[in-house]
Amino acid sequence: MRILLVEDDTGLQTSLAEILREAGYAVDVSSDGIEGLFFGEEYPVDLAIIDLGLPGLPGLDLIRKLRAQERQFPIMILTARSEWQDKVEGLEAGADDYLTKPFHPEELKARVGALLRRSAGHAQPLIELGPLKIDLVSQRVFNGEDEIELTTYEYKVFEYLLMHPDEVVTKTVLSEHIYEEDADRDSNVIEVFVGRLRKKIDPQGVMNPIETLRGRGYRLNKQPQST
Amino acid sequence: MLAVLLLTISLGLVGFALDATFHRSAEAGLQARMESLVYLVLAASDVDENGLLTVKDDPGDPRLGQPGSGIYAHVYGELNEWASPSSLAVALPELLRVPAGESSFMKPAAENDFYTYSYGVRFELADGRMLPFTVGILVDSQELLSELQAFRSGLWRSLGATGFILVLAQLVLLALGLRPLRRITQDISGIESGKLERLEGNFPKELEPLKRNINHLLDTEKANQSRYRNALDSLAHSLKTPLSVIRSSLPADASPKTAAMENAVDDMQHMIATRLQRAAASTRSSIATAVDVKTQVERLVQSLKRVYSQELINIDVMIEPGLAFYGEQRDLLEVAGNLLDNACKYGGGQVRLSAGASDPADPRIGINLQVEDNGPGIAKDARELLLQRGVRGDERVEGHGLGLAIVLEVVSAYNGEITIKQSDMGGALVSVSLQTR
Repeated sequence: MRILLVEDDTGLQTSLAEILREAGYAVDVSSDGIEGLFFGEEYPVDLAIIDLGLPGLPGLDLIRKLRAQERQFPIMILTARSEWQDKVEGLEAGADDYLTKPFHPEELKARVGALLRRSAGHAQPLIELGPLKIDLVSQRVFNGEDEIELTTYEYKVFEYLLMHPDEVVTKTVLSEHIYEEDADRDSNVIEVFVGRLRKKIDPQGVMNPIETLRGRGYRLNKQPQST
Repeated sequence: MLAVLLLTISLGLVGFALDATFHRSAEAGLQARMESLVYLVLAASDVDENGLLTVKDDPGDPRLGQPGSGIYAHVYGELNEWASPSSLAVALPELLRVPAGESSFMKPAAENDFYTYSYGVRFELADGRMLPFTVGILVDSQELLSELQAFRSGLWRSLGATGFILVLAQLVLLALGLRPLRRITQDISGIESGKLERLEGNFPKELEPLKRNINHLLDTEKANQSRYRNALDSLAHSLKTPLSVIRSSLPADASPKTAAMENAVDDMQHMIATRLQRAAASTRSSIATAVDVKTQVERLVQSLKRVYSQELINIDVMIEPGLAFYGEQRDLLEVAGNLLDNACKYGGGQVRLSAGASDPADPRIGINLQVEDNGPGIAKDARELLLQRGVRGDERVEGHGLGLAIVLEVVSAYNGEITIKQSDMGGALVSVSLQTR
């Protein structure tokens, strides 16, 4: 999942980006509204965290512009203004949630996770896929009672596919949502991740939840067909 | 008062001066009259060849013939003397003999004395002898005194009337002249109570500089105030970002040090939020326009539904139709927003907001607002603690604390009341009244 963080305070930007990366997200950062708008328009963003007091373009205007361009990813407002007047205005501009400074990092992570799940249509943080149980909050995957150990990138690939079930996801899209903009990308690496992921979640190859569509990409089937 | 005193003193001085002048000129007039009487008496006198004096009993002034009239004539000759008939039964003092050709005017020495005028003449007899005579005219001092008294009473009456009119005119002028000042006083108290922004309206030209200066002072004061407020506001808000940095840089462990830091940041956050609200609440503008309560509450409900969309929350809104709040929209949103947010957060999914006018007869007096939920409610002993302003640190009740603390600030700014009860829905019922007058 790829997060756009637009925050002009470099100290907060750095520590927030660090917290989010530790939580397994790819994070693009921007310090001003105009650049933030450009990133929001051009990058495959899954969620944006936008500070209201931004140089260049105020946060509220940035949100309105993104929404006017049919950018539908969830947006969380980060603001020092805790008055309801400001919150209501922010939400009316098109934001989905707000977080007032100073906040607990845990709360930020929880809200980000909840927003992402909500946008994927999952009301609960626990997804069941055949015998598999995926806890999106603790980022753990279980097969029955046994926990499956996944690396960060394997989990990222799996999570993205879970958030887009029954959709064809190309390798490019996957790498775009897993890596940040300036990261070194290699679509072959995605093949390696998917291969390892398949072996771990379905060692016997009976469920085949991740289907390969030759030349097009992958598709996660919500109702895996046993072959 | 001082003006009245000064006026009395100066009018008194004028009175005394006029009195003295009149007295002098009356005496001079009397002397002239007495002189002419002397000539009258002389014209009526005759001396025979023996030197005996005869005077006609009616020398030409009827008052000389009327006993006790106050004007008396006395002629002293060498051989005999003559007194006018008016002097019958009147004890006249002896007069000085005056050499021929000279005269003497004497003022009365005592109260019941006479003005006397003596004139010396010589009669030449047929045989060539020259006989000295003295003609004396006496006028009762009462004569002049009554004249003087008549003048005095007239003088003091007219001076009194003049004084009265002057004092009256002064009072009227003062009242007229001070009227604009009184209006300024009224306007200033209007500014104090917030009904007016600055001095408006037309004042006399003389007071325009005063009005300008007062307005300038008010503008400067207002500018200062808003500068302080903005400085405070931006200081408070800019503190929040570094607080966020501190909090997000804290290690994710549960060590006492981390907990202490967390607590300190919590305290700071609490202080900033409540102090900001207090500062904002005290700057309530007095020209209140009607805020439609239902519209604002609907905005909040839409916003909260967005935020709590993954949870099943049902918010019932029961607002009297057309209910208006005559205060700041910001404050209404703050109170209803925090109460609804708490109810959504800690309730069991069912939230009810009801609102109505405090006094249906006058909607400007204020509104009552109630928010209840079906959650676990608030324990009785926690309720009082929650409703204390400025409770901080470990005393604070977690959860409802910050939102409710802000509501408390707003409510106290509106001289309102807040109570926490048990709702028949099962959870907490927070009831708030906001007075807008």
